[in-house]
Amino acid sequence: MAALDWLNVLVAAILLAGIYAVMSVGMTIIYGVMKIVNLAHAGFMMLGAYFAYELFERLHLDPLLGAFLAFPVFFVIGRLVYWLFVRWLPVSDQPTLASLLLMFGIWLVLQNLAYLVWGNEDRSIFTSRTFLTSQIGPLTVSTLRLVAFAVAVVSLLVLELVLRWTWFGRSVRALIQNRYAGQLAGVDTRRTASLTFGLGIAFAGMAGALLASLYSFNPDFGRPFLIRSFVIIVLGGLESASGVALGAVVLALAETVGILFVPAGYQLAISFGLLVVVLLVLPGGLARLFARKYRPA
Amino acid sequence: MRAASSIAAAARWVRPGGIAILLPLAAWAVLAAVPWIGVEPNLVRLLFITFIWTITGIAWNLLGGFAGQVSFGFAVFYGLGAYTTALLINDGVHPYLAFGASALVASLASLIVGIPTFRLRGPYFAIATIGVSETVRVIMTNLAITGGASGYRIVEKRPFDQAEHFYSALVLLTVSFLLSVWIARSKFGLGLVAIRDHESAAADVGVNPLTHKLAVHGLAAALAAMAGGVFARYAAFIHPQGVFAFNTSVYIVLIPVIGGLGTLWGPVLGGVIFGIVEEQLVATFPEAHLLIYGALLILIVLLEPGGIIGIVRKVSRHRRLRSAT
Repeated sequence: MAALDWLNVLVAAILLAGIYAVMSVGMTIIYGVMKIVNLAHAGFMMLGAYFAYELFERLHLDPLLGAFLAFPVFFVIGRLVYWLFVRWLPVSDQPTLASLLLMFGIWLVLQNLAYLVWGNEDRSIFTSRTFLTSQIGPLTVSTLRLVAFAVAVVSLLVLELVLRWTWFGRSVRALIQNRYAGQLAGVDTRRTASLTFGLGIAFAGMAGALLASLYSFNPDFGRPFLIRSFVIIVLGGLESASGVALGAVVLALAETVGILFVPAGYQLAISFGLLVVVLLVLPGGLARLFARKYRPA
Repeated sequence: MRAASSIAAAARWVRPGGIAILLPLAAWAVLAAVPWIGVEPNLVRLLFITFIWTITGIAWNLLGGFAGQVSFGFAVFYGLGAYTTALLINDGVHPYLAFGASALVASLASLIVGIPTFRLRGPYFAIATIGVSETVRVIMTNLAITGGASGYRIVEKRPFDQAEHFYSALVLLTVSFLLSVWIARSKFGLGLVAIRDHESAAADVGVNPLTHKLAVHGLAAALAAMAGGVFARYAAFIHPQGVFAFNTSVYIVLIPVIGGLGTLWGPVLGGVIFGIVEEQLVATFPEAHLLIYGALLILIVLLEPGGIIGIVRKVSRHRRLRSAT
């Protein structure tokens, strides 16, 4: 392969990584603050995709605008789900059996509600932009992916600023580092957890809406992405928001390069293989490799 | 004196504790007689399916209920068992040998998930099981020697005997249950519960979490695989979207959770209820039955984590307290 082809692959991987990071970051902050593995993440991503789809079909709203709208809507949904179900879970430093089963149940409900509402056929969103490409120097890039990447990067930057400079962000970081010390220092754990859950679901919904304009989807949509998200946050060290970006790049690269050697049907096997390798070789994730004392930001 | 004590011993059998032994024995005897007393074949089939689900539930409960490790990928072992049995029977191997081979294959497969994930604490195992089941289904859908997505037919060179299928399921169920009783009372079982309740404390008192988790995972995988094998031989046709389906994993999780996690009778009760309810639900609400199961899962986790056994225990304790005052 020529150097230019490799460059194209690299660019494609980085564009993919942006969206991967958005879909994983919600899972990461929820895990960090509440030690809950949000299996329902997949369900909320799927709902995000249908949200963008419905806005596009009914109101002819641009799917990218839909992605932005998904954020506040799913924030509210997330807080509602927290208030209804999640807050009753016993608090723990480890993901509990109850939390896994609860989130799994929520996922089942979301998925099958979607089957009732939208049926099981694949849907997709086609706009005038779908097949447009942009020329950047010698590279040809899908415009849609470029724009989705930009949206992803902006939202991640905003999250980073919020985590760094607001009181809510400080509480989140405090709880990620040490729940009890955070409580002693006066962090309102309930409120922080509720906001974090809302935020995590908001990112899930937005990621789903972004993915909806790139791929076709059905009510079973989120599942492969759930595993990808998990591989990414394991790569990133489970609790670090910046590690997520790194993990996303690594997985996207592995998949984009892997697709050249492995049949498309086995693509998920790449992420799973990566997960096994990471668990065996560096259980602390990539972040640990680069900075031993690094703390999530 | 001796007479009095033997009367007391006899009386013990009819006290509540004794009923807990007598009633299941009687139920078992009735079940064992089912093929003899002219029960209609459809009911025998329903019982057979219920046995199969109950076995998988007991298997999952060993890992999830006793050791506290949640797996969403038991369909992998169930399916591996089904396919191993199918391939071997078609090669002319005796079915019962094939069941044994299925158990072996699944136990080995359980190590592939277990070794990387069980060494770490945290949610690694639960998530990895979702990844494994997805990957395995994709592979099985594309695998040529098993017919891929179009499924695989088992050709057994002997007449179909429903009673034999029924008995092989009943024997496997009995063995699984007795195994779970033995584990619950053994040092091994205590180690598992200790790991579930506090892993680092368990490790501190000399329970090796890795070997315990690997052992119970392998055992549970073997039971689930044999259930899959017995089912495959009965069904005579299997396909990846059936035995390896995500739904299969969901059902296997649900059964012990409905009945009562970490109890001996929970998965049995759960299996019986699931077997009957599933038969009705699939017929009446084919679209919504997973929706109902999801809602049930949420309700059980939030309201009564002990499942049906938990409710029964609460009620009986309440009654006992009442009669005491």
